[in-house]
Amino acid sequence: MSVGFIGAGQLAFALARGFTAAGILAAHKITASSPDTDLPTVSGLRKIGVNFTVSNKDTVKNSDVLFLAVKPPIIPFILEEVGPDIEARHIVVSCAAGVTISSIEKKLSTFCPTPKVIRCMTNTPVIVREGATVYATGTHADVEDGKLLEQLMASVGFCTEVEEDLIDAVTGLSGSGPAYAFTALDALADGGVKMGLPRRLAVRLGAQALLGAAKMLLESEQHPGQLKDNVCSPGGATIHALHFLESGGFRSLLINAVEASCIRTRELQHLADQEEISPAAIKKTLLDKVKLESPSLSVASVNKVSLFTNKSKKN
Amino acid sequence: GVALGAWPHVAMEASELWVGFVGAGRMAGGLVRGLLQAGKVPASNILASAPSDKNLDAWRELGCRTTHCNLEVVHRSTLVFLATKPHILPGVLEEIRPAVGSHHIVVSLVAGVTIQTLQRLLPPWTKVLRIMPNLPCVVQAGAMVFSRGSNAGDEEATLLKSLLSSCGLCEEVPESYIDIHTGLSGSGVAYVYLFAEALAEGAVKMGMPGALASRIAAQTLLGAAKMLLETGEHPAKLRGDVCTPGGTTIYALHQLEKGALRATVMDAVEAATNRACDMAKD
Repeated sequence: MSVGFIGAGQLAFALARGFTAAGILAAHKITASSPDTDLPTVSGLRKIGVNFTVSNKDTVKNSDVLFLAVKPPIIPFILEEVGPDIEARHIVVSCAAGVTISSIEKKLSTFCPTPKVIRCMTNTPVIVREGATVYATGTHADVEDGKLLEQLMASVGFCTEVEEDLIDAVTGLSGSGPAYAFTALDALADGGVKMGLPRRLAVRLGAQALLGAAKMLLESEQHPGQLKDNVCSPGGATIHALHFLESGGFRSLLINAVEASCIRTRELQHLADQEEISPAAIKKTLLDKVKLESPSLSVASVNKVSLFTNKSKKN
Repeated sequence: GVALGAWPHVAMEASELWVGFVGAGRMAGGLVRGLLQAGKVPASNILASAPSDKNLDAWRELGCRTTHCNLEVVHRSTLVFLATKPHILPGVLEEIRPAVGSHHIVVSLVAGVTIQTLQRLLPPWTKVLRIMPNLPCVVQAGAMVFSRGSNAGDEEATLLKSLLSSCGLCEEVPESYIDIHTGLSGSGVAYVYLFAEALAEGAVKMGMPGALASRIAAQTLLGAAKMLLETGEHPAKLRGDVCTPGGTTIYALHQLEKGALRATVMDAVEAATNRACDMAKD
């Protein structure tokens, strides 16, 4: 089985790194493409031994499982460009936040009658094989196609199938989640430094504390509230600290964060559905390169690209 | 000298126990109602003293005997509950001290008065215990903690526990927990009333009549507490069980978290506990 990545940024790199480290895929069976060769992740991919090309079409030709690992506003351009090369055998996996299966299927169906589409939401810790991934299968993706993707993603962390309407919530929670954790860890380290620890040690200990806590929770039958209680001896240090967290509305901040990320994801999807993708949303170099490689796209039409067919307006 | 009661030798059997209350205020009233409800001690075996008849009328209605003489209570009882206001207690102890014997069991309900103080003001052989009840003892759903003094042994602790378990939860604790119990449960009852009022008010805002809202609020608290006590599950788990994804409950809980309810409640318990400690030092 060969895997391809359209896009050679953080996500492609993380997944390629994870897959190869897990031993589920050899590096030479992976192709990644991007018009922008200056990305730091490009050299990273090359170092792993991944085949890198500037041609998205080459990636499609050399892949069975094709990951769309570009930012959501770029998806329509990509689909327009590689659509003609998509065959019934391909499993197209979109990792783009807020981009619906139906929008991708609609776009591809002008080129291929029964495109296999799977929508997936993963997160960056796939790079260390501790990713959190969910996926939803499209109209023409079989159970085996889903299982194949699940096998791939399970090699780099936790993976489970969900209904598509939950994916935005997953984005808010585990998609963005690592960022919340990094923020917390930075602050925890600051706390350590304030109380006298050298920075490196503070970071190391903070990270280990969160890692250990997460591991305990995953391996325990107990509710996190109970695990918390187990740490809080009466009148001790921890309960004093927790009181501060509660006073600051720590819990509600986290709830707010997950909610905000989920809502924003839906907003972006809504914007995309309205077919109003501003060119400003797309890096200029990328736009130029896309124009270069896709002569079928006129300069005029590039300013307003729809996720649906070029011929007909959205129903 | 030691004055022994003129009454027959008192057994430790609850039914033959002669119980006295020095002070007949709200807390004492709660305890005695609980005792009577449970049928552990006949009303005629209970004698209460108070300076005026204001409180004593209610006790007589219950079938208890009453007096204005604290000494009489001590003479006629084996188990003596001290239930005066804190600033009154030293004077009362001085008054009854001559009548206190080694057969007496003295249980103080007086807020903020430590066992050390009690033992200092009573004869050195006195069996002293200190208890902190809460108001729902009246309806046999109280929460009480008690500690024993130097001369109080297992027998006294067991007796007290068996008598008062009829009023609700009754646990022996180190004395240092008593102020915490005040903050948690003594005053805690008021926090619950506040919460119940607010719940009902929310419902009224949304269009429900007040009386109905209040009854439902109370029943909700009662039911939730009952589930907590009977399932033994962690409250966080029970909370999770009620929260269907994207449902009404999680939306509401988010509002509570935004208001930092947890921290506020912790602040309340801390404030009441600290105040209890401070008052004890006075």
